[in-house]
Amino acid sequence: MTDQLTTDPAKPAQRMRAGSMTIPLIPWVVAAILLCLMPYIFTANSAITIMNQMAITIIFALAYNMLLGQGGMLSFGHAVYAGVGGFACMHIMNMGDFFSGLPLPFLPIFGGLMGMGLATIVASFSTRNAGVVFAMISLGVGELIAACSVIIVVFFGGEEGISGDRTYGLPFFGVEFLQQVEVYYLIAFWLLLSAALMYLYSRTPLGRMANAVRDNPERAEFLGYSARWVRFYSFVASGFFAGVAGALFAINYEILTEENLNTTQSGAILLVTFLGGVGFFFGPILGAIVFTLVQTVLSLQTELWGFYLGIIFVATVMFFPGGLAGLIMMHVPALRMGKLGRLTVPYLKTLLPAAIGMMGAAALVEMTFHVRHAATGDHEMTLFWTTFDSHSLTPWLVAIAVTAAGFAITRATAPAMLDAWNDANSADGNVK
Amino acid sequence: MTAALELDGLKKSFGKTEIIRGVDLAIASGERHAIIGPNGAGKSTLFNLITGRFPQTEGAIRLHGLDLAGKAPFEINRMGLSRSFQITNIFPKMTVFENVRCSLLWSMGYRYNFWSMVGRSRALTEGADEILEQINLTARRDLPAGVLSYAEQRALEIGITIAGGADVIMLDEPTAGMSHSETDYIVELIRIVTEGKTLIMVEHDMGVVFGLADQISVLVYGEIIATGAPEEVRANARVQEAYLGAALEDH
Repeated sequence: MTDQLTTDPAKPAQRMRAGSMTIPLIPWVVAAILLCLMPYIFTANSAITIMNQMAITIIFALAYNMLLGQGGMLSFGHAVYAGVGGFACMHIMNMGDFFSGLPLPFLPIFGGLMGMGLATIVASFSTRNAGVVFAMISLGVGELIAACSVIIVVFFGGEEGISGDRTYGLPFFGVEFLQQVEVYYLIAFWLLLSAALMYLYSRTPLGRMANAVRDNPERAEFLGYSARWVRFYSFVASGFFAGVAGALFAINYEILTEENLNTTQSGAILLVTFLGGVGFFFGPILGAIVFTLVQTVLSLQTELWGFYLGIIFVATVMFFPGGLAGLIMMHVPALRMGKLGRLTVPYLKTLLPAAIGMMGAAALVEMTFHVRHAATGDHEMTLFWTTFDSHSLTPWLVAIAVTAAGFAITRATAPAMLDAWNDANSADGNVK
Repeated sequence: MTAALELDGLKKSFGKTEIIRGVDLAIASGERHAIIGPNGAGKSTLFNLITGRFPQTEGAIRLHGLDLAGKAPFEINRMGLSRSFQITNIFPKMTVFENVRCSLLWSMGYRYNFWSMVGRSRALTEGADEILEQINLTARRDLPAGVLSYAEQRALEIGITIAGGADVIMLDEPTAGMSHSETDYIVELIRIVTEGKTLIMVEHDMGVVFGLADQISVLVYGEIIATGAPEEVRANARVQEAYLGAALEDH
């Protein structure tokens, strides 16, 4: 025991690590270059639309994670701050005189301020606790403001929502934002700026104390910090960036409706953030990318995309509470020991059959759906590039066989994968 | 000279049960004062009253002559009183270094600052490293605090408690659950890091109390039955009857 407590003073290396908190620049530079190049790689208009949606979701998810991941506050009504920010920007777009003197790239500042203003009000009475009380207040406020959308028609525009035209703004160095790609660069700029600011925020005294309050509010209080005020500031900052996301939505789609601030939207952002992983800064970014892809690409393939998304979410919560980011970061120790390669073959042996099994299961789901819901007489369906008759027996037998075989192989090879995992994560020489 | 900490007719009831039944105590600045007593005597309750964890029913608590009534824990901390907990209370997911750095933030004047980078401040880094050196945890600097051994976590908690520069340090059973060698180690640590400060501790281990404290108060059923230097308390008949007799036989 005592030998553990002694320190070797002859280790200057330990003193030098003081600088380990310096901000790593490389990921940011890579991200910036990638953002600039994306429209040249994916040139289609639909691709740019998806990328815009993705970038907006990323900002929103990062803002949400300031609450959930950094501050430990579970909000069920965060879409409200983005939505209200967006509505405010819609109204600014419709203010002819003012908007014609305002370059469009500056508009998100107003959305942010609006989101921040609303967050200040709500945070002032909801941040005393971080637990159930906070979650319930957030849900209540979310419902309240969503209900206001049909009551305060002047601001929310009732059921049709509010629409506007972004091109009426003051041209920004000649750019009028008629083209989708011009909007892309505007959003990309705000994405980079917001992400950088949110990252830097987490490195400030207040950002660090947000973590401290999340982990142990009582201890933080006995260190001189009011847990309530720390939560308050996190909430306000999060409200600002949520408002920025809402403003970008307004710029991109030129219409906002009740859908932008209802609880479905609030639930979606919780899902996105959790899917990506709340424990790491980049988690929500991954979550937003995957979610947007599933939402846009998968929804073109199947009507049941929400069903699959739900399964992915439940599986994430149950088996990988760290989300996608946690899943990736799990492999860092093995990578550091140079043993990541040992996992490749066991992974292939287990995960490939698992994927095939899941595709089989998905086929069964799709076929059931087709039999139950297709128009009468329509027996033909196409699945995995194969067209067949959903009422004949053969495809069912094939799908069942594929599913069973896939999962059986997965089950048989899983122990070997676990052994490989343990092997890759234990230092060499440690015989089990 | 005003006492560092003064309790004046302090009472606390939970419902009809009176736990603290009128405590008067003055602890001079720079004194090492131990509060001992049998289980259920109200030691931890007394601690929690002083540090604002819950409000007293009657009486007054004064820190450097200032009344603490109605003050939240964070306000009391800012007035120069810092405490540790009986059950280890640290930030388990943060690194050891960050635990200490967080406890330096307020006293270094950062308050609710959101425009400076904590990693850029040499004063913060050096201050935190200095504390780590004092509590001998430099080698554990970058590990999550949750993976430290129990004794190391207790040492870290003491580090966090003293880091903010408070001049009144309250330790709630700092050696609870430790082996003999660990206890000796922590006692020595406490002696060093509380040099020149007022130390108030609740303790069960007689060896710790008699070795470390200048003054001892014995709390029995919510009342202080004796206060004095260790030898006087040891010789006091009421104390022997109430507590020490049984405890000393065990040792």
